Amino acid sequence: MKNQTTHKKRYAMAIDLRRCIGCHSCSVACKAENRVPLGVFRTWVKIIEKGRYPNITRHFLPTLCNQCDHPPCVINCPVQATWKQEDGIVIVDEHRCIGCKYCLASCPYDARYINPLMPIIQKCYFCHHRVYAGLEPACVEVCPAKARVFGDLNNPREEITQLISKQPFQVLKPEMGTYPQVFYIGADSDAMDPFAGRKEWM
Amino acid sequence: MDVNILYNVEHEMPLGIPIALYFYLTGLSAGSFIISTLAYGFGMIKFKPLGKIGVVMATSLLGIAPMILLIDLEQPMRFWHLILYLRITSPITWGTFLLTLYPLNCVVYGYFMFKGDLKRTKFFGLIGIPLALLVHGYTGFILALGKARVLWNTAIMPPIFLVSAMVSGLALMILVVIIKDFIIRRKKEPDRMLIYALGNFLVASIVLDLLLIGIDILVLLTSHTEAYKAAIMLLNGPFSLPFLGIEVFLGAIIPLFLLLLPFTKHWIPGLAVASVLVMIGIFAMRCIMVIGGLSIPLS
Repeated sequence: MKNQTTHKKRYAMAIDLRRCIGCHSCSVACKAENRVPLGVFRTWVKIIEKGRYPNITRHFLPTLCNQCDHPPCVINCPVQATWKQEDGIVIVDEHRCIGCKYCLASCPYDARYINPLMPIIQKCYFCHHRVYAGLEPACVEVCPAKARVFGDLNNPREEITQLISKQPFQVLKPEMGTYPQVFYIGADSDAMDPFAGRKEWM
Repeated sequence: MDVNILYNVEHEMPLGIPIALYFYLTGLSAGSFIISTLAYGFGMIKFKPLGKIGVVMATSLLGIAPMILLIDLEQPMRFWHLILYLRITSPITWGTFLLTLYPLNCVVYGYFMFKGDLKRTKFFGLIGIPLALLVHGYTGFILALGKARVLWNTAIMPPIFLVSAMVSGLALMILVVIIKDFIIRRKKEPDRMLIYALGNFLVASIVLDLLLIGIDILVLLTSHTEAYKAAIMLLNGPFSLPFLGIEVFLGAIIPLFLLLLPFTKHWIPGLAVASVLVMIGIFAMRCIMVIGGLSIPLS
């Protein structure tokens, strides 16, 4: 399309939780696509259960790197091994990373992990190898309920732009001043609260 | 409402005891350097016997501390990236330069001191004071700028780190003087006045440290939900025993009593016990800050 060549890209993801069925397909697809080792995750689906019988529901919260506009991991990386690209994706240079783990300590979303097989820091980067080849990220492609929507926020014709223009949405931890680029539609506040449901923190 | 988490992922805690030990050793080093400059930089003749031993302790402790950082890296062989690809917004980059300049300055300062060149000793001692403060202050900034962790992300973290560095440095110096005067050179007349003067400094800095910690906890308690939960974690949660028991009671209250009560304050074994307790308390404080800060859930 004409618009796509004239505009700068601005990748973002919207997750429509009215559609999410909590099947964990996104986590599995991500693990397969990016060879994520056992014990660590680039994306996962947090599941909470709330209420008292018979009024009880489950709420899902697929979690991934929020590709923040003001990323604390980038500000704190001492070797410029992670940076925000013009298209909005925060990537890690695995050859430059020294593994000081300061980005793990700075990330408010616990999105980064140490690869246990090859000691470097990794995280979700919206499957940029697929995106640059014209495909969608693995988790978006595999989602059976089409709850995950990926696209270019600068293109008004894309589904994500229309979705987040029309629907009320939330982001995780807006108080951190990170300006996350993963938008949740219909997320439950208890699912978004790290302390809800933790008896030891009540 | 009843909320139960059915499934969630928490990644492994990134930093741990090695980083706490690193903070502890830089604190000891900065503290002993500042005490060493009291005589040679500011002309307090009373502290002259501490000049040489202080600079030796400062240099050797700072030789060990960066090694711990290197071991803690996931890719220790790539440490040179820190110098080549620095990013100036990161406190670790500030530390790269400070941890290079400060030991060099310590060595030069020590060299002139052992040579007896008092003018140059004073010059490098006075340069060294801001460096020593920055070397330890930047470790406070490492925690304070890790904005995801509510226990770290407070403006009072660098001052707390500086004051606790002073506390542990003074305690170390008292121990060193006691070992030197009472165990190694048993026959010589010990310099009691020096130990009592250091003890008075120690009392002042413990009080200041307790004040800063109290301010920190008080503000956390009245701040937003997450901060409140962090404060409760320290006061009445998994970290209450290390925090209240070891850091505050063993590491500050008991030493304060030993240093202030009339029948223990001039009793050398009492001062030695107080110094050991203070050093244990400050190490506990570093561990509580690093591990406690990281154990607050994020997802």
